[in-house]
Amino acid sequence: MAEGFQTGGWKLSLARTRNRWLRFRLRGRNLDPRALVNLGALDHLRLDEPARSHRFVVLDLETTGLDPERDRVVSVGAFRVVGGRVRLGEVFSELCNPGRDIPVESIKVHAIVPDMIHQARPAWEVFLDFLGFLGQDILVAHYAPFDVYFMNRVMKGQFGFPMQNLVLDTVELCRTMLLKPDPYGVYLDFKKCGLDALAELFAVEVPERHTALGDALATALILQRFMQKLESQGRGSLREMIKLGGMAA
Amino acid sequence: MGDFPLPRIKDFIRRVTPFDTLGEDELGAVVARMEIAYFPRGEVIITAGGPPATDLAIIQSGSVKVTLPEMDGGEILVDIRGEGETFGAVSLLQGSQALFEVTAREDVIAFLLPAAQFRELVARHPAFKRHFSFSLARNLQAVQRNPATWFATGHQGEALGLDAQLARSQVGELMTLQALTCPPETPVREAARQMTRRRVGSVVVCGAEGRALGILTDTDLRARVLAGGADPEAPVSEVMSRPVLTIHPKAFAFEAMLEMIRHRVHHLVVGEGGRLLGVISDHDLRVVTGAAPVGVVRDLDKIHSPDELELVHQRLDPVLEMLLRLGGSAQYMLDLATEFNDRLTAKILELTELELESQGLGRAPATYAWLALGSAGRREQALRTCQMNGLVYDELPPERREAGAQWFLTLGSRAVERLALAGFPLCPEGQLASQPNWCQDRPGWARTLDDLVAQRGVCVMPQAGPLFDFRAVGGSDAFAAFLRQRVTKALEEHRQFLASLARLLPYARAPLGFLRDYVVDKSGEYQARLDLKQSGLTPLVHGVRVLALEQGLAATATLERLEALARRGVISETFAGDLREAFSFITLLRVARHLEARAAGLEPDAQVVPASLSPVQRKMLKDSFAIINELQDLLARRHQDQQVA
Repeated sequence: MAEGFQTGGWKLSLARTRNRWLRFRLRGRNLDPRALVNLGALDHLRLDEPARSHRFVVLDLETTGLDPERDRVVSVGAFRVVGGRVRLGEVFSELCNPGRDIPVESIKVHAIVPDMIHQARPAWEVFLDFLGFLGQDILVAHYAPFDVYFMNRVMKGQFGFPMQNLVLDTVELCRTMLLKPDPYGVYLDFKKCGLDALAELFAVEVPERHTALGDALATALILQRFMQKLESQGRGSLREMIKLGGMAA
Repeated sequence: MGDFPLPRIKDFIRRVTPFDTLGEDELGAVVARMEIAYFPRGEVIITAGGPPATDLAIIQSGSVKVTLPEMDGGEILVDIRGEGETFGAVSLLQGSQALFEVTAREDVIAFLLPAAQFRELVARHPAFKRHFSFSLARNLQAVQRNPATWFATGHQGEALGLDAQLARSQVGELMTLQALTCPPETPVREAARQMTRRRVGSVVVCGAEGRALGILTDTDLRARVLAGGADPEAPVSEVMSRPVLTIHPKAFAFEAMLEMIRHRVHHLVVGEGGRLLGVISDHDLRVVTGAAPVGVVRDLDKIHSPDELELVHQRLDPVLEMLLRLGGSAQYMLDLATEFNDRLTAKILELTELELESQGLGRAPATYAWLALGSAGRREQALRTCQMNGLVYDELPPERREAGAQWFLTLGSRAVERLALAGFPLCPEGQLASQPNWCQDRPGWARTLDDLVAQRGVCVMPQAGPLFDFRAVGGSDAFAAFLRQRVTKALEEHRQFLASLARLLPYARAPLGFLRDYVVDKSGEYQARLDLKQSGLTPLVHGVRVLALEQGLAATATLERLEALARRGVISETFAGDLREAFSFITLLRVARHLEARAAGLEPDAQVVPASLSPVQRKMLKDSFAIINELQDLLARRHQDQQVA
């Protein structure tokens, strides 16, 4: 794909065009208030304002496994970043009942045992609450397609359309900013952009890793680093950030 | 959401003083108001002269440096803060322009507590109030190094004939690199030859592993070889001076100066971790500091007649001023002044003894010690304050007792006179070695002290305090040790005495309200004054003294007593630290005011006009008074309890 199509402006305007079509399609329908809010998620974004001046919600999910088709979410954790700072008081953290057995391998990672989730609500309820927490902020996740897939499954089931928020992927930011250009994906450098690798690279020490909230915090601190790195190169605008880390629309 | 979901973050904050004093719920609420920020290395987080900080920052990882910019574009390093430490408190509490610049030395991740929440904590929790007002005191160093904050009248360093920038130099910059060394078996003549060839005044004698064993200097050659008759072919190890005094290359020039003065040597070896880096001599120091500082103490040795004593103490003023300007701590200043005063006293005694002998009165009939009392006894007499002293001598056989007493009384009277001539005034209420009560033999002193402690009415109570700060000067320490033992024993038998002594405190309660009212009413015509000694130092020193006596401590210096008290757990480390800050601050302030008054040709006193202080100083003074009040409360409680028990 030509460089011109990869700009932040192009990515956002494509998303906005789709958003307009969607709104056109949904016009006149009686929508859930949360759905209405979500439809307006792209309206307030200002491409040439500093990325720092926007609000972000950094999300992490713990699941029963890595196959989105088959696996289920067991825990949702998120932090809000405002003005480039992680707010410790604006936290979303909840366990979900996956409605199936939790494989032993995954318990080893997140240490959520079946007893802990008997009382938990089903994932879709938790996700609707999270949608309220997210509001119209920019969603950030480490390997965002994974998280967005689960999010969208609920969105589509409840409201009939996918989540409209702008999504940034810290893996994408890592690839475009830290690794050498690899347009065909031949280097398979994915591991270098793993959360552990980045946390180590930036000397981000995060307590409670491998809990949804701990990993969300690690991702938020990594987002801070990327934001600062861009600013120091004079590329602190939202446009640049979307160009380098916006999830392929 | 109830409990804060990230317990480890809460745990981290819980370990940060003074957050450790918060209850579980409140800590959770406070953490929930925090934000995490990232500052890359080199970022100026708070700009000096810029807007005040908007948050209190607690460093999670990395470190920052706190600096004070200078007019010439340089900066003075005030502090380095690392993990678990905070910054931003000063400008948050001051609410005005930021005084210090804060720069990230490494990548910093910090928890930020917004200003409003921080102020609320400070208002509500005494621990926060104390901690953060005393982190102000930690910045004292900077305020200290900025002469403008000490001296309202801006006379410059040039008047002293010294270049302040240079005098702030560290030993490492001034020392002679590649010091001349030789193995211990080198013949003296060969060593002298090498010194001459290299044109240096010393050679460091090193062992096989490069460790400095001793030093051979011009003085050694003169005293031990030329005058002392040592064989020039003998190995240097036989005539060298040992052990060598070592100083760290990062030490300040004046620290080296103090070391030399204290040990009466001309050379120090500069080393780090057992490694020899160079040699620094008094000559190297004189180049930067001017002759004054080293000379002022040494000049005392050159005095040969009592006439030369007149106002000799004045010579110390410029040195104290220099130390104040260079940011010397109160401790250094007191050490230097004590060294000077002790030598002066020893000199006076030496001259007076010679005089008595030449007048046919004979030599000292027994060994004796001069007792410094009060501030001199505590090693805290930086200024020319009233003399307080005594004289103790060995018991004489009955037939010589009266003549001996007469001889010592004459010595005491003349010495007191001469100290007055040198600059220490006589005050009516003080104890003096010229008074028969305070010029006695051992048993006499023991009786006096016993009577005093048993409260058999030898002296008026308020005078009793300073008496207990006795220290032997110019004479054997054994005398002081004997008397100390005696006092401790007497106090054990008469605990009641300490309670009486403690009760003396409230008469000088620190006037907190005074300062507050004054600050509020700046426009007032009335030039309110505050007595730093009477309201500040006296109650502090006295309180610490009572506790020290209670514990039977031998130390007399307030700072030493504090250290010992904290070590024994009588008071907490934190409280001792706060008291130390308060003591140092008031001492420095008092010295500054004193010198200023003298420079302006006024009669110095311990009074200060609060309006003439900078806001930071006023705040620090107020906090110091608060700490002193706390000490008084502690004492009151302690002695009430004891009476009940």
